[in-house]
Amino acid sequence: MSLTSAEAVRGPAAASSGWGLEIDRLTKVYDSSVRANDEISLRVEPGEVFGLLGPNGAGKSTLVKQLIGLLKPTGGSIRLGPHDLVADPAAARQLCSYLPQAPMPIESLRAEEAIRLTGAIRGGLRSAVGARASELLAELDIEEWRKTVGLRLSGGIRRLVGFAMVVVVPGRLVILDEPTNDVDPHRRRLLWQLIRRLGEEGSAVLLVTHNVMEAEKSVDRLAVIDGGRVVAEGTPSALKAADRGRMRLHLMLAPGKPTPDLPGYAAHPTRAGNNLVCVVDETLTGDAIAWARQQVSDGVAEEYALGATSLEDVYIRLTGHLSANGAEPTP
Amino acid sequence: MIGVAVAPAPGHGSWAASLWAQLRWELASLRVFLTLLVAIQLLSGVGFAIGIGFFFQHIPVQAALFVATGLPTINLVTLGFLAGPQQIAGLKASGGYDFIRSLPMPTSAYVVSWCLVSLAAGAPAMVATLVVAAARYHLSYQVSASLVPAVVLVVATGAMLGLALGHAVDKPSLIQFVTQFFFFAVFGFCPMALPASQLPHWLETLNLGLPFEHMAVVVRAGLTTGLASDVARAYLVLAAWTVACYALVARALARRH
Repeated sequence: MSLTSAEAVRGPAAASSGWGLEIDRLTKVYDSSVRANDEISLRVEPGEVFGLLGPNGAGKSTLVKQLIGLLKPTGGSIRLGPHDLVADPAAARQLCSYLPQAPMPIESLRAEEAIRLTGAIRGGLRSAVGARASELLAELDIEEWRKTVGLRLSGGIRRLVGFAMVVVVPGRLVILDEPTNDVDPHRRRLLWQLIRRLGEEGSAVLLVTHNVMEAEKSVDRLAVIDGGRVVAEGTPSALKAADRGRMRLHLMLAPGKPTPDLPGYAAHPTRAGNNLVCVVDETLTGDAIAWARQQVSDGVAEEYALGATSLEDVYIRLTGHLSANGAEPTP
Repeated sequence: MIGVAVAPAPGHGSWAASLWAQLRWELASLRVFLTLLVAIQLLSGVGFAIGIGFFFQHIPVQAALFVATGLPTINLVTLGFLAGPQQIAGLKASGGYDFIRSLPMPTSAYVVSWCLVSLAAGAPAMVATLVVAAARYHLSYQVSASLVPAVVLVVATGAMLGLALGHAVDKPSLIQFVTQFFFFAVFGFCPMALPASQLPHWLETLNLGLPFEHMAVVVRAGLTTGLASDVARAYLVLAAWTVACYALVARALARRH
């Protein structure tokens, strides 16, 4: 997609700098005195893909709804370029494009029609919106469904149509809440390419996700939220730096077997189904392998694997949750 | 400054363009339901106009005229007042409501587009009901220019009531319950196709403050001579309800919890 796309529908000013998102000490307290967001401060630059990670109930949705003007902060500020989005929620609707996690309301709308109409509602130029809608359908490899109504689309294709609706006239800030849900691996890769390109075309992209593995490959920077607070922020490499010198031990337990007693050097143990994961110092990998072999010999585990730590291990350490399947840490 | 991001060219992003875009969205979203609703309204309006004659051996012309000029009001408000809140409740239940609210649509353009869709849904049945009733009971209408503002105001009031209910009430299940309650209460006990004097005194008094009897009065005044009374008051009551409901809709759409 060349200049035809985002800049054509938004105009040449889209490429200008100075349209960063700046969140300063944002706090949201609900009536029940729950602090859903507790003095969150973040900055997302134009052109940057920024990941917002955290378990269910961490406060991600509350943060997003304040950005798009659906919730009023209890304190703090949100600025997008020169605009104060707390004081001017109408500006938020103009400047932010939002893909919710819930299904898009397009039951009776045909795929291409839904994309074009959203572009028109967002003030895009008709010819440019039409051209970009066609490009998006082609680049997401969903052209064969262009005339299909939403009710007849599979969950993944409907998700991709929703993405195209949101980015056909992209805002200065594009907020994507779990954009890859239900999307097949082939189109998931195409989707990530387009998300990267959104950044290159000048939008700041805020990516809300549980899926740390995907985020690790796709975001420039990220923040991990837990309990309404930012518990870590930085590039994926910087966040992983604390785990340098450590290895990840993955044990596939035999079905029905309880979690075995772990050696003292095994840190941050987490069990999801029959998968037991922990982190060990690389100087102790010999001991760890011996222990894992013993578990296999005893019939407690079926197999084991030792590999480099990932961002997911950082995430587990910070939040106590596995990323995508909601598993809890072992007691 | 704001428009730079999404509406770069002069003439684009205007109110009229927003209205046109929203109207196309509404019509496309309702394409199956709207066709069905128009068909049902045609059948029910025409059926009621014919069926009422079966209750009487001989129905006086004035009585037939009263009923025939009351039925179009029901046609005109069915989509806006009853189907509208149900649609919004569905959006709230499915999670699509946040996406709709995140779009940069002026409230006035959204409201006008919904009124136009309501008019499109009710007008065919209104015309058919009047034509069939005229043929069945040998009626002749005295159509005046006031029919146009009357129809516009009735459609607007019905649509505003529906939007206010849909947007101001948070819980989808409550919206659906209240809508169904209104369906029976309004069409069963509001004097649109029957004279208010036939109702118990308390109900007649209650209806003076509600908009439904007044909807029938202004439409009837545009179709007959001398059959409708207190027409000016009816316009005022309807205008007051429309303005109040618009304010409620605007407030609900701008509301941040």
